[in-house]
Amino acid sequence: MDIGKVLTKYEFEQWLYEEAKLLDEIDFDGWFDLMHSDLKYEMPVRVNKEGMERPDYSVDMFAFQDDIETMKIRVDRLKTEYAWAEMPPSRTRRFVSNVRVLDYVENEKAVVRSYLLIYRSRSTDIHHDLISGERQDEFKFADGRWKLSKRFFLVDQTTLNTRNLAIFV
Amino acid sequence: MIDTKTDVHLDEMSRTQLADYLMETVRPEEGIIPAYIMGDENVNKLEHEKIFMKTWVFIAHESEVPNKGDFITRDLAGYSVIVSRGQDGILRAFYNMCTHRGMKLCRADKGNKGQFTCPYHGFTFKNNGDLIGVPLQKDIYGGQLDLDQMSLHGVTLATYKGLVFGTWNEDPEPLSDFLGDFKWYLDIVVGRAEMEVVGPPQKFIVHSQWKIGSDNFVSDSYHTMVTHGSIAKLGMVPNAVYSKKGYQVHVENGHGCNIGMPNPDFAFPEGLIPEYKENLSADQFELMSKVKNMIGTVFPNLSFLISHTKIKGKLISNTTLRLWKPIAHDKMEVMTWFLVDKNASEDWKNRSRESYILTFSPSGIFEQDDTEVFTDITQAASGTIPAAKNFNYNYTMGMHREPVDDFIGPGIVYPDKFTEAGSRNYYSYWLNLMKA
Repeated sequence: MDIGKVLTKYEFEQWLYEEAKLLDEIDFDGWFDLMHSDLKYEMPVRVNKEGMERPDYSVDMFAFQDDIETMKIRVDRLKTEYAWAEMPPSRTRRFVSNVRVLDYVENEKAVVRSYLLIYRSRSTDIHHDLISGERQDEFKFADGRWKLSKRFFLVDQTTLNTRNLAIFV
Repeated sequence: MIDTKTDVHLDEMSRTQLADYLMETVRPEEGIIPAYIMGDENVNKLEHEKIFMKTWVFIAHESEVPNKGDFITRDLAGYSVIVSRGQDGILRAFYNMCTHRGMKLCRADKGNKGQFTCPYHGFTFKNNGDLIGVPLQKDIYGGQLDLDQMSLHGVTLATYKGLVFGTWNEDPEPLSDFLGDFKWYLDIVVGRAEMEVVGPPQKFIVHSQWKIGSDNFVSDSYHTMVTHGSIAKLGMVPNAVYSKKGYQVHVENGHGCNIGMPNPDFAFPEGLIPEYKENLSADQFELMSKVKNMIGTVFPNLSFLISHTKIKGKLISNTTLRLWKPIAHDKMEVMTWFLVDKNASEDWKNRSRESYILTFSPSGIFEQDDTEVFTDITQAASGTIPAAKNFNYNYTMGMHREPVDDFIGPGIVYPDKFTEAGSRNYYSYWLNLMKA
């Protein structure tokens, strides 16, 4: 076993766990700080296709399609006193697993895939929502740390069983 | 007297008793709408029968199936249908059920193919509904099977300016008559130019009564000040009361819309003005030129929206359709379609899509606060208390106002968006169908 690869995987696992913690603890500024200015954050609409036809997601419609500017608007909005969708904030628990480093250049760039399961509970509502999917993330090394430059979240549902995406994936 | 405490048990009423009780307690002309109609299971069942099985229900936009062989699967009042463009170019719809043993024939959301083969016994149907293949037919049926009698069950379709509606009603009012004067306004939303849907519709589940969505779009501009207060804070609209200025229109059959105007800026791609002028009357074009936004509902559950906001320092509009599809009395599936002027520049289309996704998709920063409200209203309206205690909503806003008679469009028009006239009209028609 290549110890270097193990350490790289560990490094990105820790990054993703830290990100999950920031979002689950409603630290949106802390989370936004992990984003690279080149950010491309996409979540395509999943589609049921016949047989094994691929891709089984839309290439032109997205639940999220953000860059750093629109993401800033989302984060700023959550801080106004009118962001009812997250008032009180959802209780979320992000489970990150199956982390695989596909590409890695030290102190430069990395491509990492992972699975994500989000449990979401709202206020007194006894229903909970589960959102699961796969992330394909790209990182750039900037100011001495890894920043997220691209996220492609492939959700597992064609009809999202959640009232909105006021949370991040 | 209605306003005293009653001891009603809606679940013990027969259908006729429930309809009578609705006639007694739902009094839109007085601005009284009882809370129980937003949370009762039996009302929901009656609605399915009296409204969704009788009226035209939106199922698709024609641009979703542009080519021969294109198909999509959709839901018509709770039943899966295949909407397919045949090799002859004709758009048809079929109940998504094999006529041999009832298996769901098509399980994809969309695709292109000339025929559908049942996963159970391999019966094959052409996309015009004809049964054209039965495995081992000659041997096992002795060549006696009457294929002509086993075509797919057709669904009645009608279209208006690209909007495809279906109905289970065998003797429906013509779609054009059903839409009536509302067509004048719909033209601006979906008929101003050649329009196309980009990508598949987005679908998400909200634990809400479906009528709250229709009601919100037909007359409730008032909520935007508070529910959408964040967008004024972010500078995406000028101020919190920007949504008051304009007109509210309603027409027969429950349809209605709110027109935010005037707008110093032209909300659409200017290069398409010749196309707009070709498709609209001079009066319609004049209205369109001044529109800031348009929000409305086609009875019972199709809403539309033209929104115009500033994103990244630039104004851009987006046009969307949304269907509030009932699943249960306290649950709906929201489907949203993004529509764009087909001949707009790629840059305009991309920016318009970006603004749609940011504002009115499931992640939309306007939309997400609405679904929060819809969910809590539904919860409060559910169960026995709202009916037993006769809790009513107040829909009297704007009752003191007189409609204007010099507006350039048809219908009953009020010179202010903050009125509930459109909802009173909506529930009057709703009541009319519920008693029939």
